[in-house]
Amino acid sequence: MEVFLNDIAHGRSGDKGDTSNICVFARRPEYYRLIEREVTPEKLHEFFGNMVKGEIVRYDLPSLNGFNFVLRHALGGGATMSLRLDSLGKSMGSAIMRLKIQVNDGEIRKEDIKTEK
Amino acid sequence: MKKIAIGGGQGFWGDSPDAAIYMIRNADIQYLGCDYLAELTLSIMAKQQLKDPKKGYAPDFVTRLLKEAGKEAWEKGIRITTNAGGMNVKGCVEAVKEQAEAQGMKGYKIGYVTGDDIKDKIPQLLKDGWTFPNFDYDGDFHDIADKIYNCNAYIGHEGIEEAIAQGADVVITGRAADSALFLAPLAYEFGWADDDWDNLARGIMAGHLLECGGQGAGGNYMYDWRSVPRMEDLGFPIAELTENTFEITKAPDCGGIICEQSCKEQFMYEVLDPANYLTPDVNVDISKATISQVGDNRVRIENIRGKERPDTIKLCVGYHKGWKTVSMLSFAWPDAYEKARYCADIIMKKMKKRGMKADDVHISFIGLNSLHLNVANMGEEALKNLNECVMRIAVFSEDKNECARIIPEISPMQLNGPPGASFFGGRAHVQEVMALWPTVVPRDVLEIQTHILKV
Repeated sequence: MEVFLNDIAHGRSGDKGDTSNICVFARRPEYYRLIEREVTPEKLHEFFGNMVKGEIVRYDLPSLNGFNFVLRHALGGGATMSLRLDSLGKSMGSAIMRLKIQVNDGEIRKEDIKTEK
Repeated sequence: MKKIAIGGGQGFWGDSPDAAIYMIRNADIQYLGCDYLAELTLSIMAKQQLKDPKKGYAPDFVTRLLKEAGKEAWEKGIRITTNAGGMNVKGCVEAVKEQAEAQGMKGYKIGYVTGDDIKDKIPQLLKDGWTFPNFDYDGDFHDIADKIYNCNAYIGHEGIEEAIAQGADVVITGRAADSALFLAPLAYEFGWADDDWDNLARGIMAGHLLECGGQGAGGNYMYDWRSVPRMEDLGFPIAELTENTFEITKAPDCGGIICEQSCKEQFMYEVLDPANYLTPDVNVDISKATISQVGDNRVRIENIRGKERPDTIKLCVGYHKGWKTVSMLSFAWPDAYEKARYCADIIMKKMKKRGMKADDVHISFIGLNSLHLNVANMGEEALKNLNECVMRIAVFSEDKNECARIIPEISPMQLNGPPGASFFGGRAHVQEVMALWPTVVPRDVLEIQTHILKV
């Protein structure tokens, strides 16, 4: 089954120059392993394509049931230079929630599947 | 056991002062920290100061916050730390003094810290062989040396702590690190040494959770934004620390939410490597930290560690990069997106014919993909039956005239393009593009000085 990351996670994005950071936390502790398995830098490279031109690093934060993703050269030049409407990448946090992830039966509670396709 | 409470009164230059004023009136706090500076703010202030030497700081700190509640804070013994001084610390101090005098605050002690502005030191540093390495891109600092608006070091808590120790009721800085504004009073009250890394790290993270104001209390809250009570009265976060504990709460009877999820979202905000969060005061390790609910609108943060601070200090260098212009046209149903897309194509064909030499062009459609770009849903279903769509074309050029050439081509599209184009907002302007050069300098270059001015 395929669900949006949005159903099992929440987070926030911020900027440092042309680097975007997106923190992602499991909505339930049991979803931590699922995010760990499904949301890898490789998948994010494929997902964002040329929106993110540099390296993507994931830092695991088990004590907070979350992850911090650092995306280099991700904001079209950064706050000052970017021609994007969202030059600070405030919506990178919601953009990542569009990632579709594969889950097996029973891995997600039915009531948590909310996002419309 | 001694407990110190400090409020976060401001998230950026332009933020609402309501929550800070509310805290002064209603919360049991001893300190209030007000952060006004983002990465680009100093460059904007430097530009303002070039036009008018009296400008270059955040006047709203004086004309809104202090005017309305500065005297009450003083009478209650709430001491305020702020980086509202921006590029013109002395100008800000002068304005604070005038405001205090106007309100009859005789004896009010204004502390201020100078030494973050090191623009004058650049030539000598270059001569000494310092290369100002750019951490984002390749490049030679010599190429931008004559285009620099500002060059400020992110200074730590010591100068602010010194002002507090000398009895300052308010402390004004330029580019102090946001979190240093909050660490300074805590280090002073608890007597933390400059190498007490674990405690300094706790103080920094208290600042980190407070420095963005409402974002630490239910603002910009993805987890469950519908559940945040009374956002029209959003309270800002308050940190309460003892020697052993560190909790976040908010003022009584105001809006907002303090819970595990709201704090987590702010905890990692703009952090890169969580095991090495570098600040001028300490290298913070939050990779094993825990956040737990311990009461109504109250969370406890534990397991923060600190390591020795770095030998270098981050610099904020803003320089002139070029020019940009942004133009928009709106289209309505039917086929709103198709028309907007066609219109953008026509404009770009015309610009190509005219030989426009733009260094970068960015086309997006507001309402569709201007925020999520590549990952927006551009499927047939999403595009069909759009009520409306706004075409947006942004152009960057190092040459101001090249950048301006697209401007007169936009409004004629109302009569010469696809049907129903609606021009709004007036003719676009050419805006200056300032860029940041992310780099560091050796710590020993800085000459930080603390001053006190008594009203």
